[in-house]
Order: sequence, then C-alpha cells, then structure tokens
Amino acid sequence: MEKVIVVSDLYRNYASTTGIIRKQKKNVEALKGITFDVGKGEIFGLLGPNGAGKTTTIKILTTLLAPSRGKASVLGFSSFGDEKHLRPEINFIFGGERSLYWRLSAYDNLRYFSDLYKIDIQTQRERIPALLELVGISEKQHHKVETYSKGMKQRLQIARGLINDPQVLFLDEPTIGLDPTGAIVLRDIIKNLAKKGKTILLTTHYMQEADDLCDRIGIISKGEMVALDTPENLKLKYNSNTLEDVYLELMGDNYEC
Amino acid sequence: MNADLRVLISSSLLQMKQSFSRSMFKFCMVVYPLLYGFTLYMLYKDHDREQIISYVMLGSAVSSLWGTISFSSAGDINRERFMGALEIIFNAPSRFMIIMLGKVIGNTILGTASMIISIVFIVVSFGVPFTLADPFLFAIIFIIGILSFTAIAMLLSGLLTISRSTAVLMNCLDYPILILCGVAFPISVLPQWTIPFSYILSPTHFLILGRMCVKGISDYNLFSYHLLWLIGLTFLYTLLFLHFYKVIDIKARQHATLGVI
Repeated sequence: MEKVIVVSDLYRNYASTTGIIRKQKKNVEALKGITFDVGKGEIFGLLGPNGAGKTTTIKILTTLLAPSRGKASVLGFSSFGDEKHLRPEINFIFGGERSLYWRLSAYDNLRYFSDLYKIDIQTQRERIPALLELVGISEKQHHKVETYSKGMKQRLQIARGLINDPQVLFLDEPTIGLDPTGAIVLRDIIKNLAKKGKTILLTTHYMQEADDLCDRIGIISKGEMVALDTPENLKLKYNSNTLEDVYLELMGDNYEC
Repeated sequence: MNADLRVLISSSLLQMKQSFSRSMFKFCMVVYPLLYGFTLYMLYKDHDREQIISYVMLGSAVSSLWGTISFSSAGDINRERFMGALEIIFNAPSRFMIIMLGKVIGNTILGTASMIISIVFIVVSFGVPFTLADPFLFAIIFIIGILSFTAIAMLLSGLLTISRSTAVLMNCLDYPILILCGVAFPISVLPQWTIPFSYILSPTHFLILGRMCVKGISDYNLFSYHLLWLIGLTFLYTLLFLHFYKVIDIKARQHATLGVI
C-alpha cells in the first residue's frame, strides 16, 4: 500500500514559563520520537490521554507546527519545507465550535474559505451547496453561525474541512460534543471518504468510535507510541474484548500526563 | 479574476462584515471620533479657524484612523487566534500576507469612513468649514498617509503573529503614540528628548504636512523635508513588514504562536 503519511522519530519541544514574579523557563517534550505511517485510503486513529501529543502530531503534519527533530511527510512532501505543495492537498477539522467566523453565515464562511483555497467560482457554486446539504445546514445556510447549535457549528466545520476536496484529512476529536445522530452522520462521511481513496488520520477519546472506524490504531502516551496495530490485533494481543480495555491496560499508571 | 486579487477582496469584505458586526468596533468607528472631536473642539474653540481645522479636525481624524487601522488590525490577529481561525487561514494555500493585507485594507476603508465622520461632525455641529489652502497637495499627503498607516498595521499584525506579548505592548502604546505624534498639539511643546521618537513615527510627519496644507505652504524646503520623512518611513515600514511576513512562516511554527496554549 502506498504510504501517504510518514512520521519517523518525531520530536517536538515547547518552551514554557512557570511562576508570575520569578518566571522560570521550562522545556516540555510533547513528542519523544514517535514513528508510524498511514497508507492511501486508510483510516488511522491516534489515541491517548489529554496532553499525550496527538494534537501536536496533527499540527506538525498539517504544517501548523515545526518539528524539533525527525521527519513528518504527507503525500511525499515534508510538512516543514514543502508546505506550498502540501497545503492545497490537505485539510483538518479540530473538534469544538472554533475555527469559524461566527458573525458570518455558513455560506459566507464556506465562500471565504473556498477563496483562500483558490477554488474557482464555478466549482464553488457546485461544491458549497453540496457540502451544506451533506452536513444538513442547507436550510440555515444564510443565518449567522453564532445562532447555530454546537452540533451545527461542528457540522459546518466538517464542511469547511472538505471545501478543497482534500486527499488527506486530519480530524482532531471531530465528534466531541456531537449528538449521537450527528456523530453517526460524521462517521458515515468518514467511511465514504475512505472508500473514495481519501486518507484519514483522526484522534478521538471514544474507543467504540475508533474501533468502528479505524483500520489501524496508534496509542500514544507522554509523547511516545506505546502500541500500533489493527483494533483486532490489539484486542488479541492484550487478550481484551474491547478497545477500551486495551487502552486502560496500556495507560495503567501512565494516565497522568 | 486573479486568485490573489480575489483573496484580497474577499478578506477585505469579510473583515468589514466582521468588524461592523462588533458593537465595540461601531463605538470606536462612530462614537469615539465624535467624543474625541468634541473634547478637542472645547479645548480649541477660542482659537482661529486654521487652528481648529489643524488640531481639532485633523487631530480627531488621525486619531480615528489610527484607532481603526493600526489598533484594530493588530487586535484582529488576537481575535482570530482565540477564534481558532488564525490556524485555518495560515494553513490555506493563499499567501498569509495577502490575506492579512486584505483584512488591513478592510480596516482602512472603515478607518477612512471614521475619519470623515469626525470631520463632518465638527463641520456640522460647530459650523466650522473644512477649508484647505493646498487641497491638491493635501490629497497627495492623504494618499501617502493612508499607505503609511496600512504599512504600520501590516507591521503590527506581523509582529503579533510571531509574538503573543506584542498585544500587551500594543495596548500600552496606543495613547503614547498619539501623544508622540502630536495629534492634539504641536510636537514642539513636548520635551526635547521625545522628538527622535516622534520623528520615527510617520503620523507625526503626516500631521505636520497636513497642517501645512491647511495653512498654506510658506516654506517648501520644510514641506519637502517632512514629505521625505513620510515617504522614507513608509518605505521602511513596508520593507520591515515584508521581512516579517517572510520569517513568520518559519518562526510562528517554531514558537507555536498560531494557536492558544
């Protein structure tokens, strides 16, 4: 299988300060040499507790962060150095209600992001209504986003993430806060995208969701990859019936990050 | 239409829609110039018409323009950061500098409207006509001044993208800059040691030149001297912001300043 995402011995440190009057500089190691790859059309799940390094990994792969050391490439392009070629081919969706202009309508948001992705007007005319239909916001497309429910905002984020028809989609806790119906709709969208050959890397705290969606799973803790395999193999290896048991077994005393 | 031009126009329109839907921005754009103009008029009401035009009208106009263009453009970066939109626009294939320039142009259009509001308010409320001895030169100075303010706004937005703490600096510098530029009085009344700081700020020269155009230019050497300062500083700010936007793509990702931590 063609490797679309390649992460090799990836490190990322953050400099932070503690204290208010006597400030002390502190170096936080968010990633400590993780390695994995994702094949074309694969749905790959990154699991781990808060602060484990999942979002940092996604941000490096989506060209939002520079790695401190190691290699991160998508579609053969380095995420730090080849961003000009990489950015048109990828997109990301962060969970929650942010990353949108709340005082504008859904239509205006998608129109603006289409322009930023240099999508021609004719394609915009076809794609924007189709995406609004896909996420079920067509009826309220001209209402201000600030009047939307949390679920609607999140569904609009999904439409925004698909605006450039990306080859690779990164989803950071995409179903957080969605009602069960909304979550099912999103999972169906993800499965359909993978069927079309799109590569998806997602993070989630919902083990059932990861089990249902992902072809392979990587579990990271304190910036290190502690397990990497298919959900079935992980369950076999740890002699567990559910992925949740595997996760709890692996985290054990490592919960505090 | 060229893709960059489309990004420039849509960013500018988005900025105007976003800004105008904020109550605080409406206050800064419409109410603040009226209050500032009223205060300055009360201070200068016993002076002659030239003084009122030079210090009340131009002063409140520049203060409104500074508030909406430079201050808002800088603040917008932080707003985008907290909304989570900064990462999205940074990640888009369009050049970040073009997107930000569009936003600054949006603010410039609103800032110019604010400037006109402040002048019209004084003309209508106090019956002082806005007359210029050299309207043609004033128009040229006005255009260069707008370009200069735009360059300052781009410079500040670039600094804010790299460093979050610039926002604190920006808030602290708002009024001192208005004082140093001599918005409400000539800079000659300030202590001598502040003059170099005044000179490196282009609004200082914009105001001096504008006031010369109101009164009529008696010394063309002095006019040329300040005009050179204004053009030179605008050029310098432009070079600086171009440089900043070149290093932003690397620095912002190395120092993780695009999101909220």
